[in-house]
This record gives sequence, structure tokens and C-alpha cells, in this order.
Amino acid sequence: MLEIKDLNVAYGHARVLHDVSLKVETGQMAFFIGRNGAGKTTLLKTIIGLLKPQKGSITYQGDEISNLSPEELYQRGLRYVAQEKKVFGNLTVRENIEIAAFAAQEPLGQALDKVISLYPKLESFLKTKAGQLSGGQRQILLVGRALVGDPKFLLIDEPTQGLAAIVIGEIEKILSGLKDRVSAVIVEQNLAMVNRLADRVYILKEGKVAREIIDKSEIADTRGLEEYL
Amino acid sequence: MIYTIVYGFTIGAILYFISIGLSLTFGTMRVINFAHTLTYTIGVYALITLIALLKGYFALVAGLAILLVIPISYVIERFVIRRLYGESLDYTFIATFAISLIGVDAIKWIWGVNPYPMNDPIGKYLVFSGLSVPIYRIVIVLIAILLFFGLNLFFKKTIVGKIVVASLEDKEGVRCLGINVDKYFSIVFVLGSALAALGGVLYAPISSIHPYMGLSILLLSFAVVIVGGMGNLNGTFFSAFALGMVMAVTARYWSQGAETMVFIVMAIVLIFKPIDI
Repeated sequence: MLEIKDLNVAYGHARVLHDVSLKVETGQMAFFIGRNGAGKTTLLKTIIGLLKPQKGSITYQGDEISNLSPEELYQRGLRYVAQEKKVFGNLTVRENIEIAAFAAQEPLGQALDKVISLYPKLESFLKTKAGQLSGGQRQILLVGRALVGDPKFLLIDEPTQGLAAIVIGEIEKILSGLKDRVSAVIVEQNLAMVNRLADRVYILKEGKVAREIIDKSEIADTRGLEEYL
Repeated sequence: MIYTIVYGFTIGAILYFISIGLSLTFGTMRVINFAHTLTYTIGVYALITLIALLKGYFALVAGLAILLVIPISYVIERFVIRRLYGESLDYTFIATFAISLIGVDAIKWIWGVNPYPMNDPIGKYLVFSGLSVPIYRIVIVLIAILLFFGLNLFFKKTIVGKIVVASLEDKEGVRCLGINVDKYFSIVFVLGSALAALGGVLYAPISSIHPYMGLSILLLSFAVVIVGGMGNLNGTFFSAFALGMVMAVTARYWSQGAETMVFIVMAIVLIFKPIDI
């Protein structure tokens, strides 16, 4: 479904990704793990079209997409959930969902139902400014916003970073419910979650893929993965 | 003192009309738009041309003059500004300043350099307690207040307004929702230019009309935007009236220092609240 070959990405003269190659099959959840500065966010931003590669290819459903814009990739079903829980903080929760519904040309009521079904407590915050939500609520709103319309492939950057254990549980439940319905690439450092959800794991180190793990028993070996964090 | 207050409110209202477009274009597009002077001035010259042709009907002629500015501002946005999105501020500064200079020369070529006189289109006074205040100035202030509430409604109640507010905060986030922000930036740019033209046509009858009239008011408007917060729509409104009042009060005691005082206030604001650009 998504295949990246020999991808090189740079900020000015500083090259961040070096010959990255990877593959995600339909319905799979692939996790990227690695230390800060390993290039995980850069890789997601390049897939979604916010950054352009110096060389290499990104194919999605057989089509080259590395030169497409985020707007065009949205039409193909790709959705990006950025890190730092960047909701539209000056708009209410309802308005955040309204913009997503407008973009997806989905009726607002249907979009609201979809997001609230992920996390029913959000219903009581619909008139609250999204910037006033807790970190976990904002993250759930972002994932919900990305699910409005007809998403086929999610790119999620650090969904549980800085969140309390109970909220991490909620987010894991949501992601688990998406399994087999959509494909996803998720940047995540929570190895217990990676262990439970991942179909494949890519370990990024200094802008390169240091390891590709597709064997379930190897993914379950969190101690083996810890050395890369 | 009542005259000073009325003058302060009037200049505050005019500054608001011009500043709101600058604030929006910087907040959404990160473009410092010197071409704003052009749309402001063209609005005024369209007004004086049309008023001579239509012999009166100020409100109708003012509306037509503002409508004339819309296609001009769209062409500026589509063919110059849009190419500068994401570029360094220096490029946007140079390009829009060039447009402004070209525009001033075009105005000089078409209408000449001599100032045009224009009369207060209402010409009546509100008399109370022995004071007479021009009704036209009160109308300008009322239009500014109505515009403030109208823009608030626009940005809070319409989907276009909400997308612009979201883009002010997180342009990439909006793009990743599949929304072509450039289209909305065009709307913002044209809206801002039309409001600058509105400021021009309303100010023309009580100021001097000449090809360079946009430049001095533009610098004051930048001060308004900086004090009010770039992209902050409510801040721009209050900052415009506050600085209008600063100008009026200063002018009462030290007429040469009226504009200087605005920039002193701006400098003080920058010391305590530097802009992150």
C-alpha cells in the first residue's frame, strides 16, 4: 500500500533522512521508534507532502506521491495527526470538527457522532475552546478529526507523548479499534503499546532505518527495542 | 477637549479600516503588505473620479470605488503575493513596496500630482452644549464599530471565517485537512484591501488627497498592527482607537509630535512584547 524507497530529505544543507526504505501493507499498523532527532517526524512530514524529498520515491497504492501536496494526499485518504496536540485552539471542539466535516464534505451531525463515539466524554466539551482541553482530550480530538470523511491511511506523530497512563489507555483503545479498518504509520515511544498494536516496527537511528521488525515475537521483545530509545 | 476626542475616534476608525487588512494578511500569509497603500489610494482616486461623473450620491459612489479595488487587489494577490508565500519577509517587503511605488507613479500619471479638494459629504453638525460636532465624523466611527461586530460575526459564524481563524493558528494543520488555504488567503487579502479602500474613501473628504497619501497612513497602520498583535482582530480594533486617541491628544498640545508619539508607544510595546516573526 505504502512503499518508500531510498528516501533522502534535508533541511537546507543538513540531510536528515538517508536512503530510508520501508513498506506498509493494507490494514497494517507500522510503528516508527527511535531517539529524538532520528528523523521520525521528518519522515511523516515528507510522506504527507509538507516536506519534499531530495531523492527517492514514495508510492501509495502504486502511484508516486512524493510530489503531491497535503491537500491532494487528503483526497487520496491520507490523514496526518501532528505531534504537540495542535488543535485549532481558538475554535471550539465543535468548530474543529466542523472544519474537518467541511473538508471531507461529510454532514456535521455524522462527523460529530463519529468523533463522540470514539470518546463520549467529548460531547460535554463541544462548546469549549479546544485550546482549553487537557492534552489527552486534545489528542483524541485530533485523531477524531482525522477520522472524519473516509480515511484510508493515518500518519500519527507521538500520540501518547506526555499523557497520563489512563489517557494512554483510551488512545490505545481508539487505535486498537481502527486496526484492520485503516492502515497507519505511528511514531511512538511507548513500547508496551507498540508491542500490542504493531504489525511491523521500523527503528530509525540518525536518519536511517537501523532495523525492520516484522516478526511478532521480536516485536514483543520490548527489552530488545529499548536500546534504540 | 470634546473636539480632540472626536478627532481621536475618527482617526482611530480610519486606522482600524486600514490596519485590519494588514493584520489579517500578516497573520495568515506572513506577508508585510506595503501594496496596501495602493488599494487605499486607488479607492480614493476612484471615488473622486466617479463622484465627478455621477454628481453626488456619496454612499453609492463610495461603494462603487470599493468594488473597483476588489479586482485590482485580486490581481496583486494572485500574481505577486501568492508567489511569495513561505518566502523570507524581505522578499515580500521588497515586492509589495515595489507594487506600491509603481502604483503611486501610475496614479501621478493618470490623475497628476496636485491635491484634490473634497467636501464633507454630509456637511451637517450635531450641536449640543454649545459644541458642534461634524455628523460625518460620528458616522465614520459608527461604521468602524459596526464593522468590528460584523467581522467578529464573519469570523465566528461562517465556515470561511473559521477556516481563516484556524489558518492563523496552524496553517499546516488546515492544509492537512485537505483545505486549499491559498483560496481562503485570497479572500482575506481582497477583504483587507476592500477595507483599506473603505478607509480611504471615508477619510478622503476630511483629509488631503494626493498620490502619496497612502504611505504616511500605512506606517501608522503598521504601528496599530504591532501594538494590537499581528493577526489579532480584536486587538487591532482597540489598538487603532487607542493610538488614534494618542495622536489626537498629542496633536492638541504638540501638533508636530502626533505621529511620533504613535511610534513611541509602538516602541514601548515592542520592548515589553517583542514580535515573534
